[in-house]
Formats: sequence, structure tokens, C-alpha cells
Amino acid sequence: MIDSEQPKTPRRNFIKEAMTGVASVAGFMAGAWWLSGGKAQAKSSALRPPGALDEDDFLATCIRCGRCADACPNRAITAFTKESGKDLSLKPGPGERGTPVIFPRRQACMLCNGVPGDDLLCTAACPSGALTLTKKFVESIREHVNMGTAEIDENLCYSYQGSSCGVCIRACPLEGIALKAGLWERPILDPEECVGCGLCERACIRYPQAIHITPRA
Amino acid sequence: MKWSFKIRKLQVFRRSIQISVVAFMFLVPIVARYTNYLASRELDEALTKWEGSPQGATLATVDDCIRSLPGTEKERVGKIIRDRKGCLEKAQFIRGGPWSAQIGSVSVTDPLAASESIAASRSVHWVLVISVALPLLITIIFGRVFCSWICPVGFLLEMSDKFRGLLKFLELRPFDVQFPRSTKYILLFTGLIASFWLMSPLLGYIYPPAILGREAHDYVFAFFDRAESGQAGMGWDGLSVMSGFLLGIVIFEQTVARRWWCRVVCPGGGLYSLLGVFRLTRIRRRAASCTSCGDCVRDCPMGLAPMRDEMGIECDNCGVCLSVCGDDALHYRVTKPSDFKKVEPMVV
Repeated sequence: MIDSEQPKTPRRNFIKEAMTGVASVAGFMAGAWWLSGGKAQAKSSALRPPGALDEDDFLATCIRCGRCADACPNRAITAFTKESGKDLSLKPGPGERGTPVIFPRRQACMLCNGVPGDDLLCTAACPSGALTLTKKFVESIREHVNMGTAEIDENLCYSYQGSSCGVCIRACPLEGIALKAGLWERPILDPEECVGCGLCERACIRYPQAIHITPRA
Repeated sequence: MKWSFKIRKLQVFRRSIQISVVAFMFLVPIVARYTNYLASRELDEALTKWEGSPQGATLATVDDCIRSLPGTEKERVGKIIRDRKGCLEKAQFIRGGPWSAQIGSVSVTDPLAASESIAASRSVHWVLVISVALPLLITIIFGRVFCSWICPVGFLLEMSDKFRGLLKFLELRPFDVQFPRSTKYILLFTGLIASFWLMSPLLGYIYPPAILGREAHDYVFAFFDRAESGQAGMGWDGLSVMSGFLLGIVIFEQTVARRWWCRVVCPGGGLYSLLGVFRLTRIRRRAASCTSCGDCVRDCPMGLAPMRDEMGIECDNCGVCLSVCGDDALHYRVTKPSDFKKVEPMVV
């Protein structure tokens, strides 16, 4: 009925089938590897959402579903593709395509401040465990969230250059803990306490930003 | 076994589920975007600014629907206004796509995603186990039903398969090459081993339901981005090269091999097949009623032969053969895992 042709020589047929099978599997695997960003040379060192596992574990665990990006009320989290990082000239590194990233210059993580719910919404949405569930309390955030650390360039910062600004200090969700105001509104950073949300970088009125986030290693 | 049933209109039910999955694939990102505007208190501004444009109309419709639910409006100084908190709660009811989704407080994830993640990370996270539990349970009881009842790509390819009739009408006789079905199991295991070895989940990048979900999501988001950047109307932005990949599968199936992806290549389908080896619900033929007319063999989307009891683990319980059978010979049966080998071969 459906088998119009019975194989006349079973062995030759088997070899043919095995060859098409192996060829297509090899093709699809190579395609998947290429799509994942496999040929990229350098790691991107991008900022990951709050509660993320260590970078290697994170890349292995994340299933690239994009649910954290959908959950983010501030639209800070985006899927990392060539297009999404284009205007910041950031490219996904090997295996990073489709993983969630935060570009603090565009939109920073506000640690779900002012949004209903007890958890950071992205960590509650994550189905894979790549983002550890984090409560929206200062203690929990300080324990689980380590996206990166802010760095201040004193040569660029207005407060260190004779004017007084202090915008980054007002923007910091851990004001007085991570970022303290010094003389003439100079930001004084405690790298141990900084969670790397990027709100200071987002708020900085200087361009290029005098304060910027270095993603954790 | 004791009980069996047959529903004549089963296919209507299946189509409605498939169509609603496709609708939700587009609706969920729209509601996600609505939630973003609501959370950032930009919704009213967007509604007035985009009045008359497709984006504005979409947002207004979603807003009306959500505000018609209880607990989403409140009264302030004699005026009925939107209750932001209530609306946010309601709008977050469904999230995600075919790859991984959250419905109410239940999280569901494709077993392929879970197995890849476990292989790549070499560890098991409880969240993932809980998330994959419901799909696993359904597969163990009903077999490979994701492919035939839920998968949006399965639906797309089923629809496109119907256009082969048009090609035949135009006297363009399409080929139907029989590729080896074992390819999907080889691809599945190669993919898992490669994921383990490279410590990066790879199969999700070529798994069509995941791709289609992403494309739909990105298209909807780009649709709103256009409005935000002041461009008028609709466009193709948001779609990536992967849409071309899906289109390629459709064209290949139209011209070279019928339902090639689902029957031969799909690693997810392979995993569902393997998980459904001991499925409790099976299609059984009552040989006494069967007149061997071959209608079921002709119409089976997976290219199997219920007439000859040749289904095995490939059968996705779609029920097309039940509906097409004029002799009332095919039924869903609840079977013990032990007695399936007696009747049918495991692999065709």
C-alpha cells in the first residue's frame, strides 16, 4: 500500500539508509552548534539576570526559553542575539545565543522594586534552575544576587572633577550599603556589597558613563 | 481490557486544541508586552498615542478583555479605574511558549529541554524536575500526544501536507522518499551526548516548536517596537533566519518526503516516542470488524499501518485512523504495559 518499492538488495539499502541518517544527523548537529554561537571566538562577558548560577553552569543549565525576559517588568532582560546587542557592539560568545542578558546602558535591573510579588520575577519564572529563586528582601538579594560590580572612573565622574552630581547614589537600590555619598556627593563604592544591577550606570549623566558594571567573572 | 471508547468528532476536538495553541503562541507575548506597559505605568499613554494603529487596537483589546475579569477595576472619586495590581496578576496567568510555559501556578517544560539541560549541566535542579513532571506524566499515560495534539509545528506541517493534493492536481507529482526513521533517535542521542560534552544545550536551536515559539514571540515584540520607534504599520522585523529553516522544512515535505520532519528527524518526537513506550492508551484494531480497506493506512499522518497493527512507538495517538475507519474497527484501549509486545512490533 505505502511501500511502493521493496528493497531488492537489503544490504545496499541499509548502507544507503545509514549514510543518509549519519549525514543528516551530522548536518543538524553542526547547524545547532553554529546557531548556538559555537564559532564565536571570545566570551561576551555579558551581565546575567539576578540569581544566575556561575557562568559555565548557567550556560549549561539555561534552556533558552526566554521566560525570564517575558517576566521582567522593566524589560531589562533580553535574549542575547546578534541583533539585540548590535547597537552596543556586543556579540554572543560560544553557546550564548538566546541566553538572557541585561544591557544596563539600555535598561538596568531594578530588582523588581515597586512590582507586586515576593520574588524577583525572573527567578520565579525560570523553569530550569539557571536562576536561583530570590526573595525580594535586602538580605536575600545580597545573598543570591551577584551580577557584577560597579566601577567608578574618577577621571570622568563629575563629583570627582569639581562639580557635584550624586545621581548614581540616588539610583542605587542599596543606597548607603553598596554606594555611599562622600564629600561633594562623591560616590564611594563597597565592591563587596554591590550586586551589579546597573541602575547607577543607567542613571549616570556622563557619556561615556563614569560608573559602569563589570560583569562577574 | 475492559473499556474502550471512540469519539467520532475527536478530530474536531484535536484541531481546536491545535488552533488554540497557535493562537496562544501569539497572544501570550502580546499580553507580556501589555504587562510591561502596565508595570511601567505607560499603558494609558500608549493607548492614547497609538490610537487607530494596529498596536493600539491590540493593546486596547487586551485591556478590555483583562478588565472584564473580576478584581481588575476599582472606584476612585466616583470613577471606575483600572486596578493595576489586579490587572498585573491576571495578565501574568499564562507565560511562555511551546518550549516552556507557565499556566496559572503550574510550570511545564518540554522533556527535551529538561534532558538537554540535565545532560549539559550534569546536575539536576528540582525546579526543572517539577516543571517536567506534568508533560512526563501525560506522555507515560497517553504516549506521544504532544506531537499530534499540541505541537504548533506538527499542526503547520499537517496543514501544509494537505497542499500536496494541489501539487498533484497541477500534475506536479511530488516525491515521497522513505528516509530511515531511526534518524531521530540517532539525532536525539547525538544531541544529548554533544550537549554533555560541550556543556551547552544544543537541540533547542534546531527543535521546530521552540524555534516557532521564539519567532512568534520576537515578531510580536518587534511589532510593538515599531510603534515605539514611530514606524507605521506592520513589517517582517523580528523574524530571523530560523523562519527560513521552518519554511525549508515545509518545502522539503511538499516536494521530497511526506511529513519528513515528524516521521524521520524530530529529536523531540523521538524522545516522546521513547517515553511513551509503555503508554497506557493505545490504538487497537478489532480484527473481526476490519475489512482491510486501507483507509487508515492512507490517512495516517505518521505513515503507519493500523490496518496491519504496525504502529509501535511511532504512533502519536492522534486518532485520525479512528475517525476515518468506516468499519468501527479501531479504538483507543487502555492496556497493560506487558501486553503490547504480543500484538505489535515495537519499531516499524
